[in-house]
Amino acid sequence: MTSNTPAAELEAITAVEKELDRVINKFSEIRENAAAEINDVASLLEELLQVLARAEQEMTGTINTGTQVDADDHMTDEAEMLVEMEPSTPRLTDSQISIITEALQKTNEKLQRLSSEHRELHGAVSKVGKVIDRNFISDFTATTRTDALQDEENIMLLNKVMAKHYCRQGMDDVAQLLIKESKMPEDMAREVFESERSFAEIFRIWKAIQQHDLSLALEWTSRYSNELIAKNSTLEFKLHRLAFLQIISKGISAQAEAIAYARNNFHKFIDRFEQEIPNLMGCFIYLPTGIENSPYKHLISPEMWTEASYIFLKDACHTLGISKNSALSVVINAGCTALPALLNIKQVMQSRQVLNIWSGRDELPIEIDLDPEYRYHSIFACPILRQQTTEDNPPKKLTCGHVISNDALHKLSNGHILKCPYCPVEQNAEEAVRIYF
Amino acid sequence: MSEIKSMEHATLKVPYEVINKKFRVAQKSVDREVDQIQNYSKEVEKALMHRPVISDVSKLVGNVVQRLQVLKRKSDEAIGDELNASFICKRKLEHLKEIVQRDSNTSEEVWQASIDQWKRVRMDRMVIEHLLRMGYYETAERLANYSDIRHLTNLDIFHTSREVEEDLAAHKTTKCILWCLDNKSKLRKINSNIEFDLRVQEFVELIRKNQRTEAVVHARKYFPAFEKTQIKEICECMALLAYQPDTTIEPYRSLFDINRWNNLVLKFRNENYRLFQLSAQSLLSIAVQAGLSSLKTPHCYSFNCKNLNCPVCQEDFNRIAKTLPYSHCVQSRLICRITGLPLNEHNLPMMLPNGQIFGQLAIPEITKENGTVLCPITNTKFTNPKIEKVFVM
Repeated sequence: MTSNTPAAELEAITAVEKELDRVINKFSEIRENAAAEINDVASLLEELLQVLARAEQEMTGTINTGTQVDADDHMTDEAEMLVEMEPSTPRLTDSQISIITEALQKTNEKLQRLSSEHRELHGAVSKVGKVIDRNFISDFTATTRTDALQDEENIMLLNKVMAKHYCRQGMDDVAQLLIKESKMPEDMAREVFESERSFAEIFRIWKAIQQHDLSLALEWTSRYSNELIAKNSTLEFKLHRLAFLQIISKGISAQAEAIAYARNNFHKFIDRFEQEIPNLMGCFIYLPTGIENSPYKHLISPEMWTEASYIFLKDACHTLGISKNSALSVVINAGCTALPALLNIKQVMQSRQVLNIWSGRDELPIEIDLDPEYRYHSIFACPILRQQTTEDNPPKKLTCGHVISNDALHKLSNGHILKCPYCPVEQNAEEAVRIYF
Repeated sequence: MSEIKSMEHATLKVPYEVINKKFRVAQKSVDREVDQIQNYSKEVEKALMHRPVISDVSKLVGNVVQRLQVLKRKSDEAIGDELNASFICKRKLEHLKEIVQRDSNTSEEVWQASIDQWKRVRMDRMVIEHLLRMGYYETAERLANYSDIRHLTNLDIFHTSREVEEDLAAHKTTKCILWCLDNKSKLRKINSNIEFDLRVQEFVELIRKNQRTEAVVHARKYFPAFEKTQIKEICECMALLAYQPDTTIEPYRSLFDINRWNNLVLKFRNENYRLFQLSAQSLLSIAVQAGLSSLKTPHCYSFNCKNLNCPVCQEDFNRIAKTLPYSHCVQSRLICRITGLPLNEHNLPMMLPNGQIFGQLAIPEITKENGTVLCPITNTKFTNPKIEKVFVM
């Protein structure tokens, strides 16, 4: 997949990433900003409160000690009277009022700004959505027959295929739950568990390797050692190498153990891995400083485990002659390869307004370039008519050995006489034989 | 066009819609709090108009300060939610990036292994999405935990929809109505009438319980909002007042049908997808159909040409693929049915007298020491047969 158009894929992802990062930055900014601004106005108001409290105290004090209150020139007579009548309730001066009003105004302005700053983020947020829509496809209409997976029976069959897939991977309880939740008929459910058994062991070991446990895998490879060698598999060596590295990465204390492991297990690989083994032994030089700081650090990277588990799955299935992929995964991966091509052709057909030839056809409009391992059947396409042969139009072998379709044969023959389109031989058209691939 | 661009729209769009929603929620919550503060400060201002007592003003200003603290907490929370939603989207983006950016240091085998692993995860993601659409929530949940890919799925988003569905399945409308209110503007944008359907159902249930007066009150309260668009349905509904639940007269019989609840569940599910701009079919079923078609050959349906490794030849997929188109092929690609190896210049196609073609390399396998050849397809024995070369262009 990546070899096709990695640039376009990366471009699409980067475009979304750019907008998303912008949104994240803006959110973080506004979060900090909001906290700071709110703190700002809050402390301003709190300060004001303190001033007020102090003023209140002072004024109560002054009144009580009988000092003149009318020191304030602006005080009205009425207020004076009030103060005199209620000496224990000090009132605000005009300048205090204007300070408070100002502070409140400032508060409101800041908060309004905060709210509108947040509202302005809307543009950046919806840009993310637009970039996603522009770079990724969401419309799958016309790439499928809507009826195929709608009726109850097919839906249940798909459930069964899914259950089988997870059963095969040792996730029996996922399969079990699916059977329960989908109310799968009992006979179907039974079938799920009967199939896929032989793969279960392989899968268990594969999983164990991924969890850095090699014991099951080493036991399995020693059981099938001869078969693996016959198939020129590197699996057994790679597993022992990992086991060795697992020991050696424990550090200097494991030196003796590592040497013993190498001595016991590497001898049978000396012919085939002449280069590798000295490399591994080189690790001992760096034991005191740690392999992770040495030129051999690539040997202890986590990818080594992914690689080992991958090779195990591939080689073990090959050895046992079973398919390493479940039916579901083959179909889905084929579908994932096919979909981009189908969407592409759909666009072309739509632009030329010939979409109607899509439905009603019994063949896809284009050839899907699948992995060779997904080709299970021979397909003979007539080299003359450029179409697949069928029961009604089978392949025929001419007496010269060339193969063309029956329809092409009739079109090319003149009465009984047929000249092979590929070689000079003239022959009787009746002598061509039906063949089977 | 390629796989990521073609298939990962929903992976990004769904979390984006969540960001968008969180944004609106945050805006609303900030605005509400700012309004509150404004109200409180107006009270202060009002008090200031008449030479107020200091302690009164202090108290009022104190209120404003208190509201400011609430605003601070709420805005921090809301923006935090926005950020979290953005990070969820970002994480999915990172996952997609893994497969398009190859570190130049990785060896071919390591790279293949990581592609393999990525595709495995993609399949689990697709299955989970499909399970969620089918309403198999437990299975989806278990699978996500098993494969440790919860952060790459939309499980959490579908959690609410699960609650709503369970509520509907128990013949209750409360949660679904709440969901409608929660998404009111979006639902209006996509022209959804699910709220009306819910109101109708509530009306029907009142009549079923013979609470006809309450039903009328209910109708008066909720139906006018839908007058413009659903007047015909409203009339039909009102007519129910005159019928008994066991009526056999249409359309009243269908309105009383208990199965309407199941339809509501399905309708809700559908509207929820539309809300997130998800396509009507799951990506899994789209991919399965495309995959089956690209693998399907006439051989998969012929009696003796099946290949056990071919998924379309296996019974389940065979039945699903029945109505799907065949693969298209303009260039012959021939495979020996005995060895599974391609037929080409290194493995020439050879014909037995019965017209069956096998690779040159397979002939020794079917030839016995005494020279008899057994055709594995037809089980015919040939003694010293003439095996001819065939030329395929």
